[in-house]
Amino acid sequence: MPEIAIQQINKRFGKIQALKDINITVENGEVFGLVGPDGAGKSTLFNILTTLLKPDSGQVEVLGMDVVKDYLQIRQVIGYLPGVFSLYPDLSVQENLSFFATMYKSSILDNMSLIKPIWKQLLPFKDRPAGKLSGGMKQKLALCCALIHKPKLLFLDEPTTGVDPVSRREFWDILKDIQHKGVTVVVSTPYMDEATRCDRIALIQSGEIIKINTPENIISNFKGHLFTMKSNDIFGLMKLMEHFELRCNYYPYGEHFHIAFYDEVEKALPVFESFLQQHEREHGEIKPITPNIEDCFIELIQMK
Amino acid sequence: MRIILMLIKKEFLQVFRSPLLLSILIVAPMVQFVLFPFTADYEIKVLDIAFIDNDNSTLSRNLINEFSASSHFRSKGMIDSKSYADKLMKADKIDFLVEIPQDFEKNIISQYGTTIAITANAINTVKAGIGCGYVQTVIGDYLKEMAENTGMASMSDNAQLFMTNIYWYNEQMNYKNLIVPGILVILVTLIGAYVTALNLVREKEIGTIEQINVTPIKKWQFLLGKMIPFWILGMAEFIMGLFLMKLIFDINVQGSIPVLLTITAIYLFVMLGLGFFISAVAENQLQAMFIVFFLFIVFVLLSGLFTPTEGMPEWAKIINYLNPMSFYMDVIKKMVLKGCEFADVKYQTITLAVMAVILNTAAVLSYKESSK
Repeated sequence: MPEIAIQQINKRFGKIQALKDINITVENGEVFGLVGPDGAGKSTLFNILTTLLKPDSGQVEVLGMDVVKDYLQIRQVIGYLPGVFSLYPDLSVQENLSFFATMYKSSILDNMSLIKPIWKQLLPFKDRPAGKLSGGMKQKLALCCALIHKPKLLFLDEPTTGVDPVSRREFWDILKDIQHKGVTVVVSTPYMDEATRCDRIALIQSGEIIKINTPENIISNFKGHLFTMKSNDIFGLMKLMEHFELRCNYYPYGEHFHIAFYDEVEKALPVFESFLQQHEREHGEIKPITPNIEDCFIELIQMK
Repeated sequence: MRIILMLIKKEFLQVFRSPLLLSILIVAPMVQFVLFPFTADYEIKVLDIAFIDNDNSTLSRNLINEFSASSHFRSKGMIDSKSYADKLMKADKIDFLVEIPQDFEKNIISQYGTTIAITANAINTVKAGIGCGYVQTVIGDYLKEMAENTGMASMSDNAQLFMTNIYWYNEQMNYKNLIVPGILVILVTLIGAYVTALNLVREKEIGTIEQINVTPIKKWQFLLGKMIPFWILGMAEFIMGLFLMKLIFDINVQGSIPVLLTITAIYLFVMLGLGFFISAVAENQLQAMFIVFFLFIVFVLLSGLFTPTEGMPEWAKIINYLNPMSFYMDVIKKMVLKGCEFADVKYQTITLAVMAVILNTAAVLSYKESSK
């Protein structure tokens, strides 16, 4: 039995179709990532999975229970870390934790094993009001509160948004540790680089699932031949490319320019080089690179 | 049970850690008790009065002196024209003008009857009304005294009419006795509706309600965990108010205190329900504040604190059937000042209980609606 089985769900807010025919299965013990830009429908899907919102149609089973009918039982066995810090800022670290432990009819001591490594880091601040903690510490406290009742499933809605790169890496190490202790993790993120740390990911765009697979498979299924080059006038280059005739896909990537060819490379590359020369474009070396998740995401969207 | 106790504990921890809320709870009633009764006072201390004496006789001069002797009036002297009086009144220099007609003395002695014109500045209707009464009393007393002194049998009708007022339940006609219990009502209302609504909306704003919603606790547990602490706070506030009332104004509760506390407890549930309902509707603290503020003003104005409900137009009386504060105000006045029994306020109590049930049901339902 899969941990989560989502079948054909739809959700609409007025005129906006927030989710459209979503089908996902999440297996026991994996870290499942929901990757997509802001406004893609990640939070809506999370709210449905955590029983905060009803889908308009379709069926969702979490651990074999229906999210609409059995929502109270589901709440007992899932943990949820919302996108914004939402603990009581005027209660201390310890008070927050024991408050949420009581809400789950459990206690801090009962479930130390799961949160011990995080709790150790929080211990020096245990009497400090939660509102006065640093961003990273707040995050850890929220994670503790979400894990205090030993959930079988942990949902994290953009846990690393607005967190510095070092803390982000540390946070992912913690998630991996939680996974090894037998908790299935579902995490959403707008950061493509984090996607590779998931076992499987679902790429979501405008309320639709574009692809579900392992990050490795998604990357190896990249259809085009990807090249990168430096350019100091990317905007001008983008305009110029409108006149380029070969089948390709191009986009700015930081201060670089990415281009994926869909014809044979041996033919396409010289055509591109002469095209640049013809328009007297200065450019850096054109290097072939392996695509990352972001490149795949862009390709998948283009192909739709 | 453990869950509800924890919710209550959390609420009290938060209240006692919020210096602002705490000082509102403790300082606000004190300030209201000390300031409000002295300012919201209908008693007229001093009225400025001027005279036009067209007779200029002994009798008329004596009458004018009579006004100067009264502690309620401050004489602004004689005026020779009405237009000048008008000017003075516009400049707020005088409140009253007494105009004594020609042949005043002659007409009185010959028992012909005469008319004295009293002009009042009616911008402040209460002041004008009460002041007119004072003026009439002074004139009446004067004529009576004169009749006795001169041995004239019946000088005027006034002289024979003995008017004595006895004000029941508020013997000195002391307005503080009316206002102070009214402040108690306002206090309980504010704690019940205002503080509760703001507290719940804040949980919405900072997102903690979402975190609570994913826990397996039930809606009624959550609402009870909110209700009990604020109910306790409201009751504590009310009891503190009773003590302050006794301490500062020496007003004793005439009726039974247990009955008064019971009805207050019911009223608090009405206000808590209202607060919850508002918090379910409002999206942020600002919205909640405006809704409560609007309702509060309507409630207070219709409650009978400043103007008697009996004098209101029919439509206002109908609206008042929906105004919990007017029922409770009635109860408080009757219990505190009149010393009524429970039987006398039974109807009000039942109405409040029904309102409590309706509002709390509405609150629970609207919360269900908003989150599952």
